[in-house]
Amino acid sequence: MSDPLLSIRGLVTQFDTADGTVRAVDGVSYDVYPGETVGVVGESGSGKSVTVMSVLGLIPQPPGRVAAGEVLLEGRDLLKLSDEDFRDVRGKDVAMIFQDPMTSLNPVLTVGSQIAEAIEVHRSHLSEDAIRERVIELLELVGVPNASDRFDQYPHEYSGGMRQRAMIAMAIANEPKILIADEPTTALDVTIQAQVLNVLKTAQDETNAGTILITHDLGVIAEMADRVVVMYGGRVVETGTVDEIFHSPKHPYTLGLLSSLPRPDADLERLEPIPGQPPSLINLPSGCAFHPRCRLGNDRERCRFETPERIDLDAGRSTACHFYEEMDAEIERVQRATGAEISTEDEDV
Amino acid sequence: MLNYALRRFLISIPIIVVATFLIFWAISLTGDPLQDLRQQPNMTTEQIERVRENRGLDDPFYVQYAVWVQQIPTGGFGEYMLSPRPIAPDLQRVVIHTLQLVIAAEVLAFIVAVALGTLSATRQYSVFDYSTTTLSFIGYSMPSFWFALILQVIVVQIFELTGVRLLPLANLSSPNPGTGLAFLWDRALHLVLPVLSLAIFSVASYSRYMRASMLEVVGSDYIRTARAKGLKEGTITRRHAMRNALIPTVTVAALSFGTLLSGAIVVETVFGLDGMGRYFIQMLGRRDPYPIMGWLVITSVVVLMFNLIADLVYGYLDPRIRYD
Ligand SMILES: Nc1ncnc2c1ncn2[C@@H]1O[C@H](COP(=O)(O)OP(=O)(O)OP(=O)(O)O)[C@@H](O)[C@H]1O
Ligand code: SF4
Ligand SMILES: [Mg+2]
Repeated sequence: MSDPLLSIRGLVTQFDTADGTVRAVDGVSYDVYPGETVGVVGESGSGKSVTVMSVLGLIPQPPGRVAAGEVLLEGRDLLKLSDEDFRDVRGKDVAMIFQDPMTSLNPVLTVGSQIAEAIEVHRSHLSEDAIRERVIELLELVGVPNASDRFDQYPHEYSGGMRQRAMIAMAIANEPKILIADEPTTALDVTIQAQVLNVLKTAQDETNAGTILITHDLGVIAEMADRVVVMYGGRVVETGTVDEIFHSPKHPYTLGLLSSLPRPDADLERLEPIPGQPPSLINLPSGCAFHPRCRLGNDRERCRFETPERIDLDAGRSTACHFYEEMDAEIERVQRATGAEISTEDEDV
Repeated sequence: MLNYALRRFLISIPIIVVATFLIFWAISLTGDPLQDLRQQPNMTTEQIERVRENRGLDDPFYVQYAVWVQQIPTGGFGEYMLSPRPIAPDLQRVVIHTLQLVIAAEVLAFIVAVALGTLSATRQYSVFDYSTTTLSFIGYSMPSFWFALILQVIVVQIFELTGVRLLPLANLSSPNPGTGLAFLWDRALHLVLPVLSLAIFSVASYSRYMRASMLEVVGSDYIRTARAKGLKEGTITRRHAMRNALIPTVTVAALSFGTLLSGAIVVETVFGLDGMGRYFIQMLGRRDPYPIMGWLVITSVVVLMFNLIADLVYGYLDPRIRYD
């Protein structure tokens, strides 16, 4: 593989709260290569959003703090930039699409002017007419009908799906190198989700941006992602290609996700939910943070007291489990329990 | 929009009618408007009876009210009970004086409050934020006459220490105010202390609203979007946050205009200003219902007008509002 475009290295982000310090992101590392889509999955509170907000420098301080780590964009550490230089990167080199299009646009400004603003701030030499033309072009690209009329409409005159299209147009306005989409379809009607994902694909093809796609929906991962990052308790517990993650997971938590959620590509006769609750980030369990919920760990000494480091199995393939070598047997057990084919040899995802 | 404004105004007419009717009734309960007349030594019983008959004072109050309403279109607000002078010129004079005071105080209070509220919200928990919070609680709880007295004392002290007459302490004009610009300047100087005394309460109250709504807006998703675009903090505050935060603040400010008018009664009394407040208290002492009724109608119209202005500004700030 070539050099990564974006490389997150040992990122630690904390929040000071009344109950103590929350380590929302605790040593996260992953890479994004040019043109690829990295899917990030994990239960609620696992630090997916906080990681990408740290990449963009959007953690509210206080109470938040990026305490350690590097975010290398083409080798340049964003976290070491001055405020002014970081502002230059935001919206130009790295752009973001947020979850809720209903609240992510300013209700008192026209949609067109909000997209125009994103261009203007980074390319002040462009004339107002040129910017307007470009915005209309972008709106057409993301499939907003009558784009030149809709330029002057306010967000409340757009439907949810149209707003998210506008947000995508805004994000790709400056042809970013990295596009981050944090649950871009979660807040939308099921019927519109597929359309918006298609728009996202178009946008990505247009810009050839490396994309980070956060989602709870394994179906979205299967359709959109090239590689997957699995997060648990503020850490990355497994990385791999979509095929690897879906068909030979090397971490019990990943397997748990696969067997606890309905999937479009595998018929699960019975779901096997992950027992227990996501961990408290103030008081992470000792050893492996997943051990209180792990069937494979089964309360073994090592799991309880020794924090598993990430083990590189292959380029871009890693796991953070002491007993990953026992995963084949565990997969078989789960297949028997759920009646599903997880490990297929000639899959086509 | 003009249509809407007109409709709003027409709707408010019944409100004014009901309000004046109730007040007319309340005044009729307070006593005999001819009492002062009776106490004058050179008044004969016949003279008093003639006034009583001319004015229909023996009729039930609702008949008196009807008579009063009927004469409004032709006779303005009628004449004083005890003298054949028309009321309208007096009312016009005091209304203009009071509006000068109150509008100046409202504009000043609004601008200062928006600035203070915005700054304390963007610097939440800073020394500045804590200081303005404390000061606004003081401003909120301090009666305006007290603040007025303190201002007067300060100006007097400055005069005694330095011999400089900084600002006039009372009245609306100097004995020879001149004309044109000189007159306006003289009026402005006379209004400084009254406007400050009147504005302080509003600054305290509006700035709290502005701070609270700024804090709410600053945490919203579209502000995060604005940051993600790479905008400067100043631009985010001005273009994205303030405009949204102003919406509730404008409403509060316009709806508080009535409070400001009642505050003017106190301030005008302290500074001896020939305004609506002082006029109202004088007429109340005379138990003359007619000037009070006129006063009330004017006040209602002014307050309703400001509510209407608030509505229109609201619609300008918030494109989601539609007038239909
Ligand atoms: N502003 C904040 N103050 C305090 N804690 C925060 C703040 N923002 C995030 N956190 C903490 O960080 C943790 C991780 O949050 P994050 O939003 O990254 O989760 P997520 O994986 O994106 O979950 P979801 O799927 O629900 O979006 C949360 O459990 C939360 O407690
Ligand atoms: S280290 Fe132990 S507890 Fe953690 S995932 Fe592996 S087996 Fe389970
Ligand atoms: Mg999230």
